[in-house]
Amino acid sequence: MKVTFPHLGTMHIFCKAIAETAGIPYIVPPETSRRTLSLGVIHSNECICLPFKIILGNFIEALQMGADTIVMVGSGPPCRLGLYDLVQKVILDDLGMHYRWLTIPPRLTWRAILKNHEETKELRKELSARNILLFPYGLWMGWKKMMACEALERLAMKVRPKEIQKGETQKRLKKALLWVDEAKTPRTLEEAVQRGRIFLQETEQDRSRIPFRIAIIGELYTVMDSYINRGVEQRLGELGVEVTRTSWFSTHILRSLRRGKGNQNAERLRFFEASKRYLAYDVGAECNFSIGEAILRSQEGYDGVVHLMPFACMPETTASGILTKVGKDWDIPILTLILDEQEIEGRIQTLLEAFVEMLQWKKKVA
Amino acid sequence: MEEEGRIGIPRALMFYRYFPIWHTFFEELGWRVVVSDGPKKGKIIYFEDSCLPMKLLVTHAVHLKGKVDHLFVPRLVSLHRTHIMCPKFRGAPDIVRLATEDSVSIIDETIDLQIRGNSLAQSFSKIGEKLGVPKKESKRAFSKAQQVFPMFQSRWVDRINRLPSRQLFQMDIPTPLSGKETLLRIALIGHPYNLFDIDINKDILALIKSLNLEILTSDSLSEEEIDRQVSGLSKEIYWSSGREIVGSLFHFLSGGVDGVIFLTSFKCGIDALLQEFIKRRLRVRGGTSIPFLVLSFDEHTGREGLITRLEAFRDVMEQQKKRKYLG
Repeated sequence: MKVTFPHLGTMHIFCKAIAETAGIPYIVPPETSRRTLSLGVIHSNECICLPFKIILGNFIEALQMGADTIVMVGSGPPCRLGLYDLVQKVILDDLGMHYRWLTIPPRLTWRAILKNHEETKELRKELSARNILLFPYGLWMGWKKMMACEALERLAMKVRPKEIQKGETQKRLKKALLWVDEAKTPRTLEEAVQRGRIFLQETEQDRSRIPFRIAIIGELYTVMDSYINRGVEQRLGELGVEVTRTSWFSTHILRSLRRGKGNQNAERLRFFEASKRYLAYDVGAECNFSIGEAILRSQEGYDGVVHLMPFACMPETTASGILTKVGKDWDIPILTLILDEQEIEGRIQTLLEAFVEMLQWKKKVA
Repeated sequence: MEEEGRIGIPRALMFYRYFPIWHTFFEELGWRVVVSDGPKKGKIIYFEDSCLPMKLLVTHAVHLKGKVDHLFVPRLVSLHRTHIMCPKFRGAPDIVRLATEDSVSIIDETIDLQIRGNSLAQSFSKIGEKLGVPKKESKRAFSKAQQVFPMFQSRWVDRINRLPSRQLFQMDIPTPLSGKETLLRIALIGHPYNLFDIDINKDILALIKSLNLEILTSDSLSEEEIDRQVSGLSKEIYWSSGREIVGSLFHFLSGGVDGVIFLTSFKCGIDALLQEFIKRRLRVRGGTSIPFLVLSFDEHTGREGLITRLEAFRDVMEQQKKRKYLG
């Protein structure tokens, strides 16, 4: 048995940690590339959302490398995310690929646990007692690594707009994430995080700069994965913008476990409440949060909002219609970027440059 | 009876299924129902970058404002205990409100039958409340509407085949009793608005009828049959419309018709995903002997190209039928 998982954002780091710690053989799909995307594009159609294509491409590449068991976090209604597995399975069947599929239920209901029990029946025979015993420890390690990655990414968002050498922060972040990835024990992980933090802070910075503040909102995979969004976070940072986002793996995992009454959740609740004057019902996925966050960020004095969505995304299409109005009503510039498989890095760079210049101009006039 | 006022119903989206209920309900309460004509000279209002059916909803709603006292744009979350509608429907009233700039009152009662204890009758009496109608009156009007609907549906196949598409939902036009004989039967599958909205499908029904084909549609199958067809899937499809599309496709492709056409709107999320599913599953299962065509519509679709494709498709159907007959 060789398990594999999608290569989204920093997901591969903590998924790998779970498998590695529990001693389960695994294959990390190659970093998402043009080839990954092409595989996804050929084997789906033009109006299926981009995350679907990337994940499909990841799976095909991993299966070609010898993986045989796909582990995927499930999702539910109302948007298409909840049926990704139904369609991806039949596509892999059609390609004649051999695989086993394990869906991790998004919500812990009895029905989901029962279905999970059925799916894992065969798999469990292949696991040793040691694997099963170590699994909770693996989960814990995975969680720790996820939090470590997110802490480093957050720090990088703050450092990037002040860096003197463009691209320096990104280089350092990559290295720091590698250290986290390589850590095998809780102690070495702790050390890796500490080392990474210091390493990032040591970036040569112009601390007198007062960067613009922009919030990135939108569909969660598009916000979290730098290949899907063509590095919007990094590009904005390097244009001298301090970026904020509230979509992290931890946010969504805690939310689906209905836990974490901490700050993150309270913040999302505020977004939801704020969206109500434009959208009287929960459309699903991130739609309401996108709208609410744009409103609240304007009140918090942010300079702008960048809204990311895959082409033909159902909930975010509704959001983008309403966001045009929100932008006018609350006097906050909103840039919506619709992403699909086309090579639009150049266009995105130009749009972002123009957006930041517009912010500068706006500040001067005001 | 004296007229209470005017209710405007945009001729879009689920109008193409539930209009008989809505019409009867409001007329019974003494309100005059005004249905929009549609985009003038094909001019569509682009308020948001959504699918064509959604853009048409906005267009129809904007045309109605100023002509009516209330607009009826219900928030259709779910019309079934366990299945839901398209997520875009959830935001539809809000989009319409923004597009009409608050210049008209909108009745946007949420209909969500997933919630335990909610019923359609209840939702309608709430709609009545908004019009200042006593509960008892609403109840009576709704039960009348519930009687009319199955009667309307029972004659639906005849209506489709014997009336021009524009008159399908004109409640005062009776269903003609007989039509001409046809040789081939064709099944049309898709969301009701893709099947019957001539602004989306360029009146494909008329084109098909002119080729002397008999039409069956996905909305004529019973819920039990649909459930039976989609039961063994590895994951349950949770959209009502998605179930109907996949279920009726499997039903018709297993026999009873000479050809199947799946009508989709460009950028429809549900259709895009399920289209891929259907195509692949058919291939994995060894294909089908019944000719199958997918037509995708957007605002640029032309009638001429459509005619050519339909004519070619009829030829394929004919040949296939001959082959079956001989072989």
